[in-house]
Amino acid sequence: MRKTAILIVLASLTAGAAFADDGGNPHHYGRQVRFVGIHPIPRSEGGGMCNIEGPHVHIYAANKLEYRDHDGDNYFVGDPVAYHYDGPKYAYKGPHPIHVDAVVGGEPDTEYCYIEGPHYHYFRPVDDAEFRVAGDAYFYVGTPPQAFIEARPAYIGINATYRPLVYTRPVVEVEAPSGWIGARAEFVTPGVVVETPGVIVEDHRHHGREAVVVGGGGVVGVGASVGVGVTVVAPPPPSISIGIGVGVGVGGGAVIRGGGHEHHDNGRHRGWR
Amino acid sequence: MKKLALILVLAACGSGGNASRDALIAAWKTGGLAPSAFTAVKDSPVGKDCQAGTVNSIDVMVCSYATADEAKTAQDLGLKWVGDTTGISRAKGSLLIVAADRKKSDPKGDTINKLVKLAP
Repeated sequence: MRKTAILIVLASLTAGAAFADDGGNPHHYGRQVRFVGIHPIPRSEGGGMCNIEGPHVHIYAANKLEYRDHDGDNYFVGDPVAYHYDGPKYAYKGPHPIHVDAVVGGEPDTEYCYIEGPHYHYFRPVDDAEFRVAGDAYFYVGTPPQAFIEARPAYIGINATYRPLVYTRPVVEVEAPSGWIGARAEFVTPGVVVETPGVIVEDHRHHGREAVVVGGGGVVGVGASVGVGVTVVAPPPPSISIGIGVGVGVGGGAVIRGGGHEHHDNGRHRGWR
Repeated sequence: MKKLALILVLAACGSGGNASRDALIAAWKTGGLAPSAFTAVKDSPVGKDCQAGTVNSIDVMVCSYATADEAKTAQDLGLKWVGDTTGISRAKGSLLIVAADRKKSDPKGDTINKLVKLAP
């Protein structure tokens, strides 16, 4: 009986060893990293997009800001257009949930995108009741679950990643629909990283004047989203790129307001504003 | 007559793996891929009935199982065959499609994606 038990244990260990090279994860082998759905290829690996739609493996890592775990696979939640994706795409503005299982299958799984400005995904929302379409873009108007709010600090850094990327973002010039998440207190970051004195941004949401100073290089810090009613009251120097649109946000394609007039750059600016 | 029917049924069961594998390879051809001849793999750890070849320079192995569940269970074993490179191990019905881009000939994964998408 004892021999049988020992044999069973040994057999189990042997079977597990086949996939134990990385600490025992039974779902991949050696240096493999699991992905599901299309995703960017690191520049060191050639760049562009990987077009494998189902589960697959590579031998390069996925970063924590642009990927979420879905059944043990890395699922890309960023903007594929930033990586030269040229397939079907859908414009969004502001943070929103993603029903990953509806896109790539697998167990029910809701993950969250924290990109604050206009951006694209290669899928449209599943639950139309949670979104409003305005200006050809999807705005999330649902009530954000607690998990959505609580995970924000961990993923808000994705905005700093995308801001300097140069690509054609969706152009969204319309007023945000009522109930849009970008106007919710939990999704408006009050602080802005200060580099050098430059432009003063006035926030009319509050009575009194709350100035936000943006660095001379035009870099607005992580989480520099601004809510409804924000306008830039000083004309930005040419090098500054600030995108504070109606109802929000930092991101390309938004209306730029400065010096008492407004203009639009059609989303072809450098980086996020 | 009963015996003949039984023989026909058994024969059909026995050739099921090859039939579906042939249909898979035919679908790849129809879809514009260029599969080589597929030959039996002896003592494959992935399955007892596996054949390997190439499709557009991608190393591909197709294994046949008695049930779809068995094929799905074998997906992890397929990943071991893939090794340290880009690849897939996907069950399609009772077949398991395993592909490894060892020559790095499919940088965007288009061929690998078609291997699964074109499967009947």
